Amino acid sequence: MAKSLSHCPIADNQSGKNAGLVLCTECHSIYRFVANVDMQCTCCGAELHQRKPNSLQRTWALLITSIILFIPANTLTIMNVAYFGNDDPSTIMGGVILLLQMGSYPVALVVFTASVLVPVFKMLGIAMILLSLKYKVNLTDKQRIRMFRFIEFIGRWSMLDIFVISILAALVNIKGVAVISAGIAATAFGGVVVLTMLAANNFDTRLLWDYK
Amino acid sequence: MCHECDLLIRNQLIEEGSKIECPRCGHVLYRQKHNTIHKSLAFTITALILFFPAVTESIMSINMGSNSQYQSIIEGANILLLEDYYLVAILTFMCSVLVPLFRLMILFYLTFSLSLGLFHSSFFWSFRLYHYVEEWGMLDVYMLGIIVSVVKLSSMAEIHPGLGLWAYAGLLLSSILATHTLNSHEVWQLLRHKKQQQTVNRGIC
Repeated sequence: MAKSLSHCPIADNQSGKNAGLVLCTECHSIYRFVANVDMQCTCCGAELHQRKPNSLQRTWALLITSIILFIPANTLTIMNVAYFGNDDPSTIMGGVILLLQMGSYPVALVVFTASVLVPVFKMLGIAMILLSLKYKVNLTDKQRIRMFRFIEFIGRWSMLDIFVISILAALVNIKGVAVISAGIAATAFGGVVVLTMLAANNFDTRLLWDYK
Repeated sequence: MCHECDLLIRNQLIEEGSKIECPRCGHVLYRQKHNTIHKSLAFTITALILFFPAVTESIMSINMGSNSQYQSIIEGANILLLEDYYLVAILTFMCSVLVPLFRLMILFYLTFSLSLGLFHSSFFWSFRLYHYVEEWGMLDVYMLGIIVSVVKLSSMAEIHPGLGLWAYAGLLLSSILATHTLNSHEVWQLLRHKKQQQTVNRGIC
């Protein structure tokens, strides 16, 4: 259906920054860059930057905070099931193991992926990209941008566990028989999801090509 | 200029239905699709109609012995609030109700007035905002959440789907279609063109 046309760059690896241009990332207007001036897009009003300001510092800060929060998110109780008065608090991994014991392997896999694999992969991935920029490790740009796009894409799906808790807590609320309530780890886990998403947002992909 | 790697690329005209990819990083720069505003408007209206039953009606109900209980999306956020998990409650409410509704309203405002040929300067910031919150609307993730909850509960109790679930599935489908049919590039070009026309008419330029 949609066929891709071969498209030629103006010069070999000439970036817009080197050519003194700045692109509005919102509406795709192109301007001549003026240094030391707060530029604004005359078309849509967005702030113009050749690169996102303090991109690496911000990404690092958000990443480190999310790694710290990840510890309570996994060790503390995320959900408490009170069945006929017996409390049964469970952690994230506990929930996955329970699903495995119930025999619903596909769902256990989905939950495990969304709430353990995805956050870990995201944090490791962002850290790897940042470190590879810092120490100029030889990863090809294609590998890095593919990894980053993947991270950006999967990020939202770790909200799954939070939604499941909110659904279960509202649904199973029969006093004296069964009550499901959220645990303190839910806040920590929500924090991890939000912070990793913000970290990915703050990273400027164009930096990958600048550091050559 | 490429969004993701800042490579300079020559602008060229392309045929209907084709797309341009960045030769260096593979980012899709431009997709040629026309008449997307009307199509998107149709899906947006559908989604908005379905929105209110989807969030307020019961998604599903359970039977446990003689007790039964039902749940809607709003209640899911509300129960967390009652349990004093304010941050999680706000996050859930934001991602499952507020942001999707907000995006649909912006989309409706834009596509409706653009298809009538109206123009206002607020279109620019509202469309920017629309892209800004894109990631935070998580209707699709919530759907998966519903499925997982059903499986988790299936051993404990009887589950019946509610009216809200059907409305919700429709909402999910139509909002995905509404966002994916819209060609943002076309909208920006149209907006830019209208703005230029307006300034010429006023005699500023």
